Amino acid sequence: MSPSKTGLLEPHVTLDATQREELQRRDIKKHDTAVILLHWFNVSIWVTELATGGALLAGSAYQIAPAWWRTFMIAVFGSPSMILKVHITAGVLWTLVLLVYGIFGFRKYLVPTVTNYLIPDWDDFVWMKNRGLLILGKRVDLPPQGMYNGGQKLYGLAVYGGSAVIIATGLIMAFHLGPPWLVQWSILFHFLAVGGIFAGLFVHVYMGAVLTEERPAFYSMFTGKVPELYAYRHHYKWWRQYKEIETQWRADLAREAAADAKADSATSEDDK
Amino acid sequence: MTTYGMVIDMKRCVGCQACVAACKVQWGAPEAESRDWVVPIGPVLDSEGLVSTFYVGLCMHCDKPACVEACPSKATYKRADGVVVVDADLCIGCGVCIKACPYGARYHHEAREKVDKCDFCASRLDQGQEPACVTTCITSCRHFGDLEDPKSDVSRHLPGSHRLESVDAQLGPNVRYLAGERQWKLIHDRYAPPAPELSTPAWLLSRVARPLILAAIGAAFLGQAVAFFTQLRRGEHPIEE
Repeated sequence: MSPSKTGLLEPHVTLDATQREELQRRDIKKHDTAVILLHWFNVSIWVTELATGGALLAGSAYQIAPAWWRTFMIAVFGSPSMILKVHITAGVLWTLVLLVYGIFGFRKYLVPTVTNYLIPDWDDFVWMKNRGLLILGKRVDLPPQGMYNGGQKLYGLAVYGGSAVIIATGLIMAFHLGPPWLVQWSILFHFLAVGGIFAGLFVHVYMGAVLTEERPAFYSMFTGKVPELYAYRHHYKWWRQYKEIETQWRADLAREAAADAKADSATSEDDK
Repeated sequence: MTTYGMVIDMKRCVGCQACVAACKVQWGAPEAESRDWVVPIGPVLDSEGLVSTFYVGLCMHCDKPACVEACPSKATYKRADGVVVVDADLCIGCGVCIKACPYGARYHHEAREKVDKCDFCASRLDQGQEPACVTTCITSCRHFGDLEDPKSDVSRHLPGSHRLESVDAQLGPNVRYLAGERQWKLIHDRYAPPAPELSTPAWLLSRVARPLILAAIGAAFLGQAVAFFTQLRRGEHPIEE
């Protein structure tokens, strides 16, 4: 063990087998239920919107999806205008749910997520540089990371900003909120925001669901928890914060237990 | 195979605007806009004396329509019978096609928030009727029908007819004009189509954003594919930690 002054492990410590097993056995909470539900709701909406949007952007000068995809979607939904209706309905539903999340979860989720977990610090930039060097085969250490690493933070911010652009431009296009020139610019920015997020989605899905080292992050999107060993190794700064909260919680528990015991002994004295 | 077209005999047109009125009533075009129009030209003094005519405009239902190319959602498309139509349920009223059409045959219908244009009265065609402008014309200067059928009214008037094209815009219009040489010169000099144009955002979407996003998606896909195959080669430990 290499504990710090606070009794917590320092980063990049070579753990012995017992430590590893102990940390691997313990799960710590990473996501609230609301966040997990929102994530999978987002997934379902993105699948729907990408499938229908790919079929709608069909002009030969602009199309991204192959022509057969539009034919397939028309076979599924009956007509191009029905595809548009589904696209708009899912988009409006997404907007409403995000609005509920943004309004009711403003203090508990939205602001803390952005300020505590998404704003990059210097370590995040070093992480991104060193992650690239690691991919190139150089031997470098990754600096300790918060709940999200530098790449996740950057992508997270792009998703937050991109989602705002997608919603604003989508509403302009769907409900003609402005003159034709505004609708034209909205198509461009809607496309850029969706395309940028979609390109990152490959990396996001691969890193989250396929890459062995990051797989606990994928499972956490179902259970809300990750093994402590994973948290320690990949998200040291967050792990440390968590352990400090846990230490405080244990101290509170001990204080409560001591107070309860004192109260019990006082009651039994009175009974006598 | 049917290809609908129209020949307009300018030697018979008297500029009465009956066709425009019939079209506006049929399709509810707003006061300032119309699916077709009749504009007087002249009188102009040329080497042979005074000459005047009318320019009768409408969608040309081109063989290679620039509007169809420009439409992002294919809300504008060419039917199998050659008629270029707008699917109003799919159109989001962006108006990219309006700028793309070198004949100025499209307009933004403010109340409907969609693009509108002549579709040769497609719903009337589907019921076996002719376009409203054709049946209303008091001098029978509009000849309509199947260009593939040599016995049709339009085919019988094709010889000597002109296509309104220019060096910059050769889109194969299927509305043609019968006119004297001097009349045609007046029409062509004033209304020969300019090159089709894409609006700035549509150009950026097509020429910049699309290749950029395709490259980004390709790079991301390639990157994760390389990583995945590396992972396959390495294999996984039965115990994950």
